Amino acid sequence: MPDYLFVGKSIPRTIEADKVTGKAVYINDLRRPGMLYGKILYSTHAHARIKRIDASKARRLQGVRAVLTGRDIPDVRVGFLKDQTVLKKDVVRQFRDEVAAVAAITPEIAEEALSLIEVEYEPLPAVFDPIEAMKEGAPLVHETDARGRPVKSNILPLPWKFSVGDMEQARKEAAFVTKDHVSTTWVNQCCMGTSGCVAEFDQSNNLTLYSPTNVIFGHIGRISEYFSRIGLAGKKIRVVNPVVGGSFGTKLDTDIYEFIAIQLALNTRKPVKILFDREEEFRALPPRQPAVFTIEQGCDREGRLVFRHCEAVLDNGAYTSWGATTPSVMIMPMSSLYRVPNVYFKATCVYTNNIYAQAMRGYGNPQATFAVETSMDSLAEAAGIDPAEFRLINRNQPGDETPMNLKITSCGLEECIRAVKERLQWDEKKKARQKTRGLGMASLIHVAGGARVTKSDGHGIMVKLDEFGHVDVIESGTDQGQGSPTVISQIVAEALGVRPEDVFITFGDTALALWDAGTHASRHTFMAGNAALIACAKAKRQILDMAVDIIPKIVKLNFKRMKRKDPGFAEPDLDYGLIADPEDLDIRDRMIFPKKEPDHPYFRVPISDILRNGLHVGIGESRVVAAEAFYDPPTEMLNREMKGNLSMTYAFGTTGVEVEVDEETGDVRILNLVAAHDVGKAMNPTLLLGQIYGAGYTGVGYGLTEEIKVRNGRVMNPSFRDYQMLTAMDVVPIEPVIVEPDDKDGPYGAKGVGEPGLVPTAPAIANAVYDAIGVRIRDLPITPEKILTALKQKKGGMNV
Amino acid sequence: MIDYDYKRPDSLEEVFRLLQEYGPRAGLIAGGTDVMVKIRNTKKAPEVLISLRGLTDLAYIRKNGHYHIGGLTTHRMLEQSELLQNELPALYEGASRIGSVQVRNVATLAGNICNAAPSADTAGPLLALDARVTLQGPDGERRVPITEFFTGAYRTVRKQTEVLTEINIPAHMEQFGSAYWKQSRRKAMNLPIVGIAVSLRLDNDTISDSRIALTVAAPTPIRAYKAEEFLAGKPMEDAVLAEAGRIAASPECCTLRDSLRGEAWYRARIIEVYVPRMARLAAERIKKTH
Repeated sequence: MPDYLFVGKSIPRTIEADKVTGKAVYINDLRRPGMLYGKILYSTHAHARIKRIDASKARRLQGVRAVLTGRDIPDVRVGFLKDQTVLKKDVVRQFRDEVAAVAAITPEIAEEALSLIEVEYEPLPAVFDPIEAMKEGAPLVHETDARGRPVKSNILPLPWKFSVGDMEQARKEAAFVTKDHVSTTWVNQCCMGTSGCVAEFDQSNNLTLYSPTNVIFGHIGRISEYFSRIGLAGKKIRVVNPVVGGSFGTKLDTDIYEFIAIQLALNTRKPVKILFDREEEFRALPPRQPAVFTIEQGCDREGRLVFRHCEAVLDNGAYTSWGATTPSVMIMPMSSLYRVPNVYFKATCVYTNNIYAQAMRGYGNPQATFAVETSMDSLAEAAGIDPAEFRLINRNQPGDETPMNLKITSCGLEECIRAVKERLQWDEKKKARQKTRGLGMASLIHVAGGARVTKSDGHGIMVKLDEFGHVDVIESGTDQGQGSPTVISQIVAEALGVRPEDVFITFGDTALALWDAGTHASRHTFMAGNAALIACAKAKRQILDMAVDIIPKIVKLNFKRMKRKDPGFAEPDLDYGLIADPEDLDIRDRMIFPKKEPDHPYFRVPISDILRNGLHVGIGESRVVAAEAFYDPPTEMLNREMKGNLSMTYAFGTTGVEVEVDEETGDVRILNLVAAHDVGKAMNPTLLLGQIYGAGYTGVGYGLTEEIKVRNGRVMNPSFRDYQMLTAMDVVPIEPVIVEPDDKDGPYGAKGVGEPGLVPTAPAIANAVYDAIGVRIRDLPITPEKILTALKQKKGGMNV
Repeated sequence: MIDYDYKRPDSLEEVFRLLQEYGPRAGLIAGGTDVMVKIRNTKKAPEVLISLRGLTDLAYIRKNGHYHIGGLTTHRMLEQSELLQNELPALYEGASRIGSVQVRNVATLAGNICNAAPSADTAGPLLALDARVTLQGPDGERRVPITEFFTGAYRTVRKQTEVLTEINIPAHMEQFGSAYWKQSRRKAMNLPIVGIAVSLRLDNDTISDSRIALTVAAPTPIRAYKAEEFLAGKPMEDAVLAEAGRIAASPECCTLRDSLRGEAWYRARIIEVYVPRMARLAAERIKKTH
C-alpha cells in the first residue's frame, strides 16, 4: 500500500464554507448591470391549437421591456430530435409548453405582465398513455417530423434494440422461466437550487451565458447551432457556471428557458435572468422518464441464467430530450448485470401529451435494474434457490466480457453480495423468520471510467504554479456540489507534492478550460483524476528540471552568506550527484528532496524557493511552470448493434434491505439498509459516504414515496408539500460497505461513484417486501395502497 | 403584484381598533405559516396584515383547575411542555407533528385552529379533549365549544372583528387517556392523509366515556359520535374496538373522499385500523398517570 499523504483521506470539502456562510454566488445571487428579469407563460392545455395570442396589454405595462411570442422570434427547431420550437406558435402539446415570454425590470412586473397576455386555445384530442398512444388511430402528438414530413405514429424513430445469442434455443434449454410486468413512474431530480440562467450579449452579439449546465461545451454546440439559424453564425459563445446547487441530470441538456433568456437578451440588448421557482421546477423541468417492462428470464437446473428477454415502452412526453436516449444505458444492466449469454432487449419511446423527460442520476439504469432485479427474485423463487445464492451463482467476475462487449476489469460484486448477506444476517434471519419482516437485495452495474457517448470522451485540464507554490487548476468539468473539487485537489496535491489547500480550481468556464465531454456518467473523478495525473507529471518534471539547476545555486549562496558571517565556516563536502538528475528528485508536502536522502540537510528545499528562483532570473532564463493534459481513454462508442466497451471500468454494488410491513395499513418500515459498493479506491471516505447516503435515500424515495402525479398531462403535485421526497426526519439506517479492489485504470485506483447508490435501492426494497408478506409490487413507488390492494387480491386467491 | 401593509399592535385594544378601521380589508396574521403560503399561492393579500405577534402575553400554557393555552402559544411550546406530554398527550402529539421545528417555532395554536383546514393537526386532539375556545371582540368575549367552532372547510364561527385568545381544556380531561395518530408518508413537512385522535376513560376495564375525532374525514375536523356511542359501557376488547373503528370509518361518521393525497377507501382503512390502536394507547396512558 503506497504511503499517500492526501489520497484516501477524509479531507474536508474545499469550497463549502462559502456555501454555508452565504458567500457563494448561485444563479439566484448573480446580478449584472442593467439586468432584466424574464418570465415564461406556459400552456393551459395538454394539446391545443393556439387560435390567438394578444400581448398588447402586457407590452403596455410599465417596466416591461419585451414580450415575445412564437410570432416574434425565428421559427427554429431545437432539442434532441428537433421536435420543438423555443416558443410555440401554432400548437401546444403539453402543459409546460412555452407560449410567451416577458422581460421586465423586476420579476414581479414580469409576472404581472404574464397575467395580461391573452391566449385563446382550441383544444385538440390528447393521449396520455404510451400504450394507447402506440395504437393506430391514437391522436398524433406531432403531425410532422422535424423536416415537415407527415408522420403516421407516435412512436419515436429511435429503434433501441439489442440482441445477442439464440433466444429460441435458450428458451428450450431453460429449466425455469418467469415473466414479470414491471413499471416505474416520473420522479423529479429535486435539486436544492432551482434552474436559472443569465444571458448577456456584448455589442457585437457575442454571448456570455451564465448557466448551471454540467455539459458546458455541449451547451456551446447546441447554442451555436441555434445561432447559425437565427443569423448569428460564428458569434462567440462563452458558458460560465455560477455556483450550482445540484444537477442530478437536470443540467445535461440545454433547456428551453435558456433559449428564451437568449432571445429576450437579444431583443432587449440587456442581460436577462430567468430563474425558476419550485413550482416551475416541478412543472417545467423534464424529470426521470417512466417506463413499463415485460421481462422474461430463464435459468438452468443449477440456477445459471440462460436468457433474458425484455421489452420496454417509455413515455417520452411531447418532445425529446435525453430521456429518449436512456435505453442506451438500459442496455447495460439488461445485457451485463449478472452473467447471461442470450439477451434480447427492445425499447420503444412513444410521444404522449405528458411532460417530457430527460436524464436523472442513473440515466435509465434505475428503471432497468428494477426490472432485472424483480425478475431475478421471481426466477430464484421459481428455481427454488435462495435469492442471494442465485445472484452469487450468476455474478459478474473480473475478466468477463459481457454480451454488450463490456470488458470487466476490477469487479467486487461477489464481495458486495457476501458483505450484504453478512451484515443483514441473511442466512440466520431467513431461517428464523419473523412474520411481516423480510429481506431483499439487488445489485448494479454502471459505467465508472467515463462513458463514450460522443466521439470524444475526453477531458482537459491545465495546471500552473505561481512563485509561492500555489497551484491553479483550470478544470474543464463542472462542480454541481458532488465533491469532486475536493477529490481533484487531493489528487493534484498528491501528484505534485503540495497540499490540498494549495490547490485552487476553476470550474465551468468555456473561455478558460480545455474541452470536456461533460460532468455526467459518474465520470468526473475518474476523468479529471487521470487528466490531472498526466498534467501534474508534466508540471512536476518542469519543477524538478529547475530544481536540478537551482538547488546547487541556493546551497552555494547559503554557504557564501555563512562564510561572510563566520569566516571560520568550513563548507561541507556535498555529493551533488544526489541532485544531478531530475529523476533522482521528488516532491512531497511542498518540499523537494533527493530520493536517496529525503532528509538531506542542504538539498531539501521548499518548492516555492525553486519556483521563485526560476522565475526571477533574467532575460531568456525566467521560467514558469504550467502544463496541460487532455485525457481521452481508449474506450469504444457503441456500434450499430449497441455493443462496445464504452467505459474504462465498471462500478458494481449490492444493496440489501430488511423491512417490516404493517399488513393492516400497508406501511413499510426499513429496519436496515446495507449498501455495499465496489468503488475501486475510496479517494475521500467522508465524501464517498455522502454519495452513498444521498443516492441511497433518493433510492428509498424512488422505491417508496416519490412520484410526480401527472393527471391528463398536468402535474398535480408541484411542491415539496405533496411531492414526497424524504426529509431529514425520515432517514433510514444506511450501513455502507466500501469494497476497494483498486482499479488499474482509475486515478490512484478510483472508480466513479456518483450514480450507483441509487440504482439497486428500490428493487431491493420491493424484494424485501415480497419476502416479508408474499406480495410482489412491480410498480413504483411501493405505496401502502398498492400493498393493501395486493394483499387483498392474494387473500382472494387472485394471482398477484 | 402582491402588496400589503403590515401593522404590529402591542395590545388587543389596538388590534380591535385596527380591525374596526380596516374592516374586511384587514387580515390577522400570527405565525404566518398558513397566511403567507396562501398569499404566495393565490397571489392575493388583504390590504393590511395585522400581526398578533406583539401580544406576547397570549403565549402560555397553564393548569389552573382547567388547562389554559394562550392563542399565540407556538407549536414548539406545546411540543416542549411536560404538562401536555404527561396529561394531554394527544395534543402534544398533534402539535409536535406539524411541519418541522422551524415551522413549529412560529406557527401558533390559534392559527392552526382559525385557519380551519380539514387536516389541521391540533383540531383532532382538541375535539377529543373537549376544548373550548375564547373569542374576544371589541364588545367582550364569548366561549365556544370546539365542536361548534368549525363551520366548513377553512370557515369558523369567528367573526372578522374577533381574536381567538385562549383554548381551554376542562379539568375532567385529567381522567382521560388520549392519543393522536397522523397518517402520512413521511415524518415531517407533511399534511395528514387522515388524522385520528382518541380520548377515553375506563371504569375497571369498561369504557365509561370516549371521544373519537377525525381530520381529513369531512369538510371540517369531526367527532365520530356514533362510534363513541357504541363504545360507551363496552369492555376494552379487540372486537369492540374493531367495531368502533368500522363505525368511525363508515358514512355514519364521516364523508371520506378521493383526493390527490389519498383515496377514500384507504382513508377508511386507516381510520379502521387506528381507532383501535389509538384507543389502546390512550387506555395505556391512563394507567400510567393514575
